[in-house]
Amino acid sequence: MDVAGLARLQFAVTGSLHFLFVVLTLGLAPLVAIMHTRYAITGNPLLERMTRFWGQIYVINYALGIVTGLVMEFQFGLSWSGLSHYAGDVFGAPLALETLLAFFLESTFLGLWIFGWHRLPRRLHVACIWLVTLTAYASALFIMVANSFLQNPVGAAEEGGRLVLRDFGALFTNPSLVFALPHVLGAGLWAGGFVVMGASAYHLFRRTQEREFFTRSLRIGVLTSLAGSLITVAFGFAQFGPIHSVQPGKFEGVIPGLSLGLMILIGELLQLAVMFVLAPLLIRDLLARWRWLHPILMAMTPLPFAAAIAGWLVREVGRQPWLVYGKLSVADALTPGLTRADVIASFAGFAGVLGLLAVVDYALIARAVRRGPGQVALGGADLPLAAEPVPANSL
Amino acid sequence: MEIFWFLTFAVLLAGYFALEGFDIGLGALLPVLGRTPAARDRLVGAMAPFVLANEVWLVAIAGVLFGAFPALEGQALSRLYPLVVALLLAWIVRDAGLWFRRRTAASWRPVWDGALTAGSAGLALAWGAILMAVVRGLPASPFDLPGLAAGVAMLALLAWHGRTFAAWRLRNGTGGTGRALLLSACAAAAPAVLVAAAAAGHMLGNAAPDQTLTVLSVMVVPVAPILVGAQVWVWRTFSKGALPTFF
Repeated sequence: MDVAGLARLQFAVTGSLHFLFVVLTLGLAPLVAIMHTRYAITGNPLLERMTRFWGQIYVINYALGIVTGLVMEFQFGLSWSGLSHYAGDVFGAPLALETLLAFFLESTFLGLWIFGWHRLPRRLHVACIWLVTLTAYASALFIMVANSFLQNPVGAAEEGGRLVLRDFGALFTNPSLVFALPHVLGAGLWAGGFVVMGASAYHLFRRTQEREFFTRSLRIGVLTSLAGSLITVAFGFAQFGPIHSVQPGKFEGVIPGLSLGLMILIGELLQLAVMFVLAPLLIRDLLARWRWLHPILMAMTPLPFAAAIAGWLVREVGRQPWLVYGKLSVADALTPGLTRADVIASFAGFAGVLGLLAVVDYALIARAVRRGPGQVALGGADLPLAAEPVPANSL
Repeated sequence: MEIFWFLTFAVLLAGYFALEGFDIGLGALLPVLGRTPAARDRLVGAMAPFVLANEVWLVAIAGVLFGAFPALEGQALSRLYPLVVALLLAWIVRDAGLWFRRRTAASWRPVWDGALTAGSAGLALAWGAILMAVVRGLPASPFDLPGLAAGVAMLALLAWHGRTFAAWRLRNGTGGTGRALLLSACAAAAPAVLVAAAAAGHMLGNAAPDQTLTVLSVMVVPVAPILVGAQVWVWRTFSKGALPTFF
């Protein structure tokens, strides 16, 4: 494989890892925010336990979202300096806005939310998780604006061999964006709903003590995936029109074609299952009571993630060989002078470390699920400042 | 307009080293300052609520570089390729140590504390070498003796800053060491600010066109008070009192 191919593979692998965690973040954040709000209003201890349990799952998942995202942001400059040279005056703006307006606030408010238990007034603490959700969605918006510009470079004109910004608003009304953004956000809800559903099925199947907790959680999971599936599928099919006019031939390659087929297959089957089997079985809590169904629910948990990765393969591989569609090829965007050794070393480092941490992270999520709501660290007791004078003295 | 965005860049850079600098320094010093698991938990508890709000300054720096100085971003990052890769790997390992040290069984905690320390030290070393490479006009092979020396110097500087922060926070965020913390914060930010000042001419000459900078300004300036307010809120909430335990 040549240098451009290796750099592309590095971007694809780190990007796919990033999205596995991002898609769950997008789905769980609003669920945790709603649970926390209901707890704050009612004071119901069950809702507090749900907020902390699902909040901890959300937070463990978030760790990998951050570290994989760091690699994504810096990779543009590392491997694809031709992109910043040719299109940076346009493409850089949404990325800069993502860091300043979205991620900066998201990270700050998430810190306040995680560590603010027992400290912040209840209403302000709830406000933090809503701000985290809002900024996570804003982040998705700016990243999708940037990505859609690569799919369909609107609002810019070429001057002296570089793109200059002509109409910033056009980036937000890009036909490659308007249906794809809700499609992605819906996929997040779908994945989040399935994780809640699968984890609840595990506890119900094991007949743990937490029957009421997970019967209610199962209901939340099914209803969330129902909403998510309707949004995802509707805005998925809505994209065929714009794609046909903007990127004809997008699905002609082997990988985009197969990925599209796989995504639609998973999406359709799961949507039918959620709509006509799982949602109706919520009546009289049949789904929670029919234990033989629970292993199937657990086994279904990874499917929305597989469909999400397939979706990105359609979108990104279907754009090849272009980095900026019709204007800048991937090969021309590669950083000049980049050697195979450079890329192989960084690819091995990033893929090795992030891959290992991704496995660890999923093991930790599974562990947190298995231990159940009785052993949640999020919102746990503080360490008293003056309890042990030893470390302070040793300074 | 490009002066405004250069100043924004410089402020973010100073803020990153003044704030994240103590997390890096404290992480690197963890086995020295915390001889027992309980002592390490308290040190991590002191910095934990600040880390998310601190490390994100570097994400903002990269964003401003890409949005306002795109030509420079591609140039600088690609010329510093091995150092930036090392910086990112160290950052990832440090974060993994922080996030996972209390999520696994207690027998695994030394492994994650080791990751926290190694990652923090790696961050300091990489930063020293990066600043030195920028000063020397981005040489072809930045892994050499001056780079290593700068890395070690940066590690010592941030370790001092981290130690000052721990002393201040574990004495309940009050007392005479508040001034010491301000001093060590300024010292931690000084090298990066000096390097940015030296590079000012080159940066201003490579800014994005006015149209792009205007869009960025119109979008960012109205939100800037919220960015500042959120940071202030973190400090007001976590400077004193008991130590949170999640990390």
